[in-house]
Amino acid sequence: MTTVEERIRASGAPSRLGGKGISGAIQFTVFLVVIAVIVQSLYVVEARPQDLITGAHGMADIISRALPPDFSKFHSELWPTLETIDIAIFGTVAGVIMALPLAVLAAANVTPARWVYYLARGLISLCRVVPDLVWALIFVAAVGLGPFPGALAISVHSIGMLGRLFAETIEQMDMAPVEALALTGARRSQVFTHAVLPSVIPSLLGITLYRLDENIRSSLVLGFVGAGGIGFQLLSAMNLFQYQEVSLLLIIVFIVVLVAERGSAVLRAKLS
Amino acid sequence: MLEVRGLSLRYPNGKQALTSVDLTVQPGELVILLGGNGSGKTTLLRCLTRTLTPTAGQVSVAGRDITALSGEELRQARTSLALISQHASLVRRRSVCANVASGALGHYSSIMTSLGRLPRAEMASALHHLDAVGLVHLAGQRASTLSGGQAQRVAIARALAQRPRAVLADEPVASLDPEAAEEIMRLLKRLARTDNLAVLCVLHQVDLAYDHADRVVGIRDGRVAFDLPKDDLARERVRDLYISEAA
Repeated sequence: MTTVEERIRASGAPSRLGGKGISGAIQFTVFLVVIAVIVQSLYVVEARPQDLITGAHGMADIISRALPPDFSKFHSELWPTLETIDIAIFGTVAGVIMALPLAVLAAANVTPARWVYYLARGLISLCRVVPDLVWALIFVAAVGLGPFPGALAISVHSIGMLGRLFAETIEQMDMAPVEALALTGARRSQVFTHAVLPSVIPSLLGITLYRLDENIRSSLVLGFVGAGGIGFQLLSAMNLFQYQEVSLLLIIVFIVVLVAERGSAVLRAKLS
Repeated sequence: MLEVRGLSLRYPNGKQALTSVDLTVQPGELVILLGGNGSGKTTLLRCLTRTLTPTAGQVSVAGRDITALSGEELRQARTSLALISQHASLVRRRSVCANVASGALGHYSSIMTSLGRLPRAEMASALHHLDAVGLVHLAGQRASTLSGGQAQRVAIARALAQRPRAVLADEPVASLDPEAAEEIMRLLKRLARTDNLAVLCVLHQVDLAYDHADRVVGIRDGRVAFDLPKDDLARERVRDLYISEAA
């Protein structure tokens, strides 16, 4: 009679997972590579900590000139603030409207044909890999300065971000109810609206709310390339050395980002 | 009525999954299909729902051959054949009543149903079907709140909403406790009688087959091994079905 240990040994199973010597060598190599990557980045960005120390004086100077914030300008900043928020809202809504059909075509489990799948995936990737700032530059060149090119830039970039996440959500859903409904003889469109959509809508809404939060942040920056909103005010104030206005704008940005972040988080928590 | 004639299927990899299967289920009859793992039961069901296309033979539902159909014709033919699978496959976020009513969508072609609305007339009959499976009091609940046995009964109500002529059940009690399983089998048998449906049910539980079947069909290596009224079926023949699988 053999013991369990003897039979396990006879089966040739390793007594311990992974040979100690080999994994040790690999660990050391990985360690060296990580160190090398970090060191080269320090070299490439020309990191000089001493500059921070010598620059402290200049920073203190700017901060002292920025204080106190110039609240007399508050009223004239309200419109650009609204513009910033509306750029994000427009961009998110337009993004969802265009991303949803694309995502359906780009989800492997519901796409009508292989070539459609690749085409939709390609379009979504194109929208995503070009940064929103670059889209803004393109649209400013196309339609001129103002909030509209900013809104268009956010829309297009949102298609890319939302499209991929929507498609992944659809791909990960439970297909059993979808197949069950298809076998009852329901039409494709009915299967989509009665089985696919009800299963994924809460996730899609959550993703959209998160995107709105992100879009408000990017719309703050888009003004720097002439696409309207608070960013544009910030750039003008900087260029005119109006540091007290800059500090007011930064306070507004801080509040807007915080409210958007908390609001989006609270709404998403309610969904789930 | 459900009629299968000379059904054969050979997979592209050369495996002969079904060989000349003949099978008839009369309206009002509950026929139980027994067979070991890999015997061809699931393949047979998939041919009946036309998820797989058989290489030879015919499947007719209510007198209509569905093997040669495709596209819109196949969709229409599918409305007369309901499938109840091992898992209830309900849309978890919708109400029980909406899940049942959605079974009838194949009979409607309006834009509103394509936009996600349910036909109003179907909501009333959905309650009726829920009553038939004894769950009308749960109509307003979300499907995700149901127990396994309740969900399976809702799936049966959804199958009824489809107004089928024949019902296929693929191991409908596999994930249920004995009491719920008994309940489902009684329900299937009652519906076969009252709604005059042809019910074909795949099972692994031999005892349930003896308790509820009108007729038992044994399948082995993709062929019909026996097709007998349950009173004429000797226990040994059923046992052989599984023994030869093991060998």
